[in-house]
Amino acid sequence: MSSAAWTAWEGADPVRPPAGPLLSVRDLQVRFVTRDRTVHAVNGVSFDLDAGQTLGLVGESGSGKSVTSLALLGLLPRRTAQIPAGEVRFADEDLLHAPESRLRQVRGNDVAMVFQDPMTSLNPVLTVGRQLTETLRTHLAMDKQQARDAAADLLDRVGIPDPRRRLREYPHQFSGGMRQRVMIAMAIACRPRVLIADEPTTALDVTIQAQILELLRGLVETERMGLLLITHDLGVVAGVCERTAVMYAGRIVETGPTADLFARPRHPYTLGLLRSVPRLDAGSDLPLAPIPGSPRDLTDAPSACAFAPRCAYATDESRERLPVLTPVDGDRDHLVACWNPVSDAQRVSSA
Amino acid sequence: MTADLVVVEDLQVHFPIRTGALLGRTTGAVRAVDGVSLSIRKGETLGLVGESGSGKTTTGRALLRLVEPTGGRVTFDGVDVLALRGEELRKLRRRMQMVFQDPYSSLNPRRNVANLVGEPLRVHGIASGRALDTRVTELLDLVGLPRNAGARYPHEFSGGQRQRIGLARAVALDPDLVVADEPVSALDVSIQAQILNLLGDLQQRLDLTYLFIAHDLAVVRHVADRIAVMYLGTIVELATAPALVGRPLHPYSRALLSAVPIPDPRVEAVRERIILRGDIPSPAAPPPGCRFHTRCPFRQATRCDTEIPALREVRPGHTVACHWAEEIEAGRIRPAQPAAALAADG
Amino acid sequence: MSIAQAEATELAIERPVSLSRTALVRLRRNPAAIAGAVIVGLFLLMAVAAPLIAPYGPNESVGGLASTPPGPSAQFWFGLDEQGRDLFSRIVFGARLSLLVGFVAVLVGLSLGLLLGALAGWTGGRTDALVMRSMDLVLAIPPFLLAVGIVTLLGPGVLQVMVAIGLVTVPQFARLLRGSVLAQKESDYVLAGRAIGVPSWRLLLSHVLPNAIGPVIVLATLTMATAIIEVAALSFIGLGPADPSLPEWGRMLAENASRLQNAVHLVLFPGFAVVLLVLGINLVGDGLREALDPKLGR
Repeated sequence: MSSAAWTAWEGADPVRPPAGPLLSVRDLQVRFVTRDRTVHAVNGVSFDLDAGQTLGLVGESGSGKSVTSLALLGLLPRRTAQIPAGEVRFADEDLLHAPESRLRQVRGNDVAMVFQDPMTSLNPVLTVGRQLTETLRTHLAMDKQQARDAAADLLDRVGIPDPRRRLREYPHQFSGGMRQRVMIAMAIACRPRVLIADEPTTALDVTIQAQILELLRGLVETERMGLLLITHDLGVVAGVCERTAVMYAGRIVETGPTADLFARPRHPYTLGLLRSVPRLDAGSDLPLAPIPGSPRDLTDAPSACAFAPRCAYATDESRERLPVLTPVDGDRDHLVACWNPVSDAQRVSSA
Repeated sequence: MTADLVVVEDLQVHFPIRTGALLGRTTGAVRAVDGVSLSIRKGETLGLVGESGSGKTTTGRALLRLVEPTGGRVTFDGVDVLALRGEELRKLRRRMQMVFQDPYSSLNPRRNVANLVGEPLRVHGIASGRALDTRVTELLDLVGLPRNAGARYPHEFSGGQRQRIGLARAVALDPDLVVADEPVSALDVSIQAQILNLLGDLQQRLDLTYLFIAHDLAVVRHVADRIAVMYLGTIVELATAPALVGRPLHPYSRALLSAVPIPDPRVEAVRERIILRGDIPSPAAPPPGCRFHTRCPFRQATRCDTEIPALREVRPGHTVACHWAEEIEAGRIRPAQPAAALAADG
Repeated sequence: MSIAQAEATELAIERPVSLSRTALVRLRRNPAAIAGAVIVGLFLLMAVAAPLIAPYGPNESVGGLASTPPGPSAQFWFGLDEQGRDLFSRIVFGARLSLLVGFVAVLVGLSLGLLLGALAGWTGGRTDALVMRSMDLVLAIPPFLLAVGIVTLLGPGVLQVMVAIGLVTVPQFARLLRGSVLAQKESDYVLAGRAIGVPSWRLLLSHVLPNAIGPVIVLATLTMATAIIEVAALSFIGLGPADPSLPEWGRMLAENASRLQNAVHLVLFPGFAVVLLVLGINLVGDGLREALDPKLGR
């Protein structure tokens, strides 16, 4: 980590961000329009992410969590995706309306992404070293030798043994966990200020998942990166993220400090999720309380609480008006979008 | 103590690695399952846990003769399963059924639900005509699908509902044993619980015995009475669920348990993390001695890399395959290098 | 309560839609496929109702012998040939033969190919190796040469030509179906079927084949187009149906190839008929390929 190359380009550190959050998303909306139908995938998502902070974006399939992350960097398919409203600012720069050339600079340099499947994100016919050094040389204008040293150093930092030898190998010679490490090495190569990790461990075994999560935790600390971790796994969020946002049907339904949100979930969906996953540290006598039904498709723009049809707490208001995120008991840090949030007393009595 | 429904002794499934197309020379073997012994008691749920490449799926399939074992014995209710041929085997299949991981690919997309659920009854000549329709409706009710589901096709259903269809098929013949291979891991979190509860419900109503195969220890802990942990084709530990989760003896079980995320930040903040080094070795070339020694934080200078540890009973009903289980538990052997060396330390 | 209702209504919204119906709906949305279907339909109509559509008989001499046959006119739309027969009527009757040849040839190729492909794919092992290597052997011979060889062996005649052309296509069908069966064989639902105790032959016939046959159907339509061209080609080199009076498009082309100078219509119209029919069949085949692809969303 203290190799010459690494310290050499530490000098290229960008200026510190101005006041205000590093990454700020406001009322983001994404629609997919095809000949047959329109899918309202993201319906007004807002959040902030600061340097050194970890935000977990939790949701099930179809909740819009991945679409949100792709929209941030203009990676949605141009033919079908529309962004009718919203704002994405990175270090006070508008990304949503930035030209593609500028976005290319931002991607990799300032904001990097890691995806679920590391195999499809790596070019199978080029060596890992070639792919890594290419990134370094284009973005950081290094010469060949510098780039090779820096690449080996990066592999070392993400915990790949014998990095100089492995640089000469092809992606298929790496195991799934090692490939994900390579992807992370590529993502952090240019010392981005924000890392977006979309289900980075979902395809991996648990013991390997633990390795990768440990690596991410360490990187946030040493690099002071902002980490946006997108996952369906509440356990992963609980172990890694300071703040959590729960998504359902394209909207954030509850957000707050992770500890608070897990201890006192106010949205019936959050509570339902927590109650429906078995816990290793709980006895098997504790019955699971599944959420009935399944998510509806998103062909209509939301005009009421999307969770109402599956919710035991739903009121007439839930079925008629769209709830917005509001502070819980005056706590401006913990927000919930619900007309009839779960109270402490209800939570205890329903357990 | 209830009787054993299934007894597996020294089960082996080796897949030959062949080269050449027409003549074919065998150049090696993937030892997917390499000497597994276990028993499943009548009415219990035995959880089989392991990571990819552990051989847990192959074990389940070999037990049902969906892959051919290359060695060992499987006894089902006193019958030697591996000796059965043709029609006898097909008859036995009535009593042992399977639930698959992927509810999308395990249902023939061209058949409607009534046809799919009725198929086991038809092929075994149990019901036809009006009686078949009645039974199919009963089965749909049993798994919580609406009656009008029968005329519809798999692609019209959500993942959870398809898994219900798969369950209806599996219990149609009123089997004794159901091998459930990752039955909920392809489902969304909120749907998983529905299926887990349904599995429990069916077990009670129909007197089922389950072999529940999964990678997710939390899920297995929730459903299983006893848990067997597999690593590279062998069982490393077998105990009751509370004992295995509460007092694991094998270093691999410990690491596996500590790697399972717990959805509670307060617990996550304080719990011990054993982070294993390296990757799971290939089952085509398993390490000599204890198969786990290449990654084991408790590896000792003697025995570990030379001598294969036998599965032995350390406490009543708690078996483990580790030379040093007692010493590790007593704290006389400590983990060598802090295994968390992988993490970048600031 | 209301939740159960919600789930029930969710299931009750749509009427059951089968996959074949979905394919039909998709096909109907594809303008090229519709155009193809219209073309093929017109030719079929021509073949079936030839005596009603054709103003004259196929071998009826209406203009008498002429060294320079008259071209298209209001009375004879496509003109007359050197024996004074109405070209339009001959082409209309010729549709019968072309379609028949295409159909029977594909039937021969398809049935044999299905049998061998299914056998090879499903049984695997030595049978598979044996069947597929012999198919490779056949594939190594240029198809047209092979057809010529078979016709010379069997002797001239409509049936012989059809069988020859059909036999040539067997390896293609066998190969395609084998691959498709192999893919299906590995799928979970086949394993699920075995787990339930479905007998092997039944699994193959009622589960695997219906799922594996999609690409083969597409190939069949495309092969039919090739077969029509090949019968024309065989006729062109003099190995076509024996009866010289039969109105066959390829023979019309062959006999009049030397007349391009003074009677273009004798070559132009039969050639056009071949091209149009082949185009129509190809369009339908392409449309089918898209419609049957389960990977495309509905």
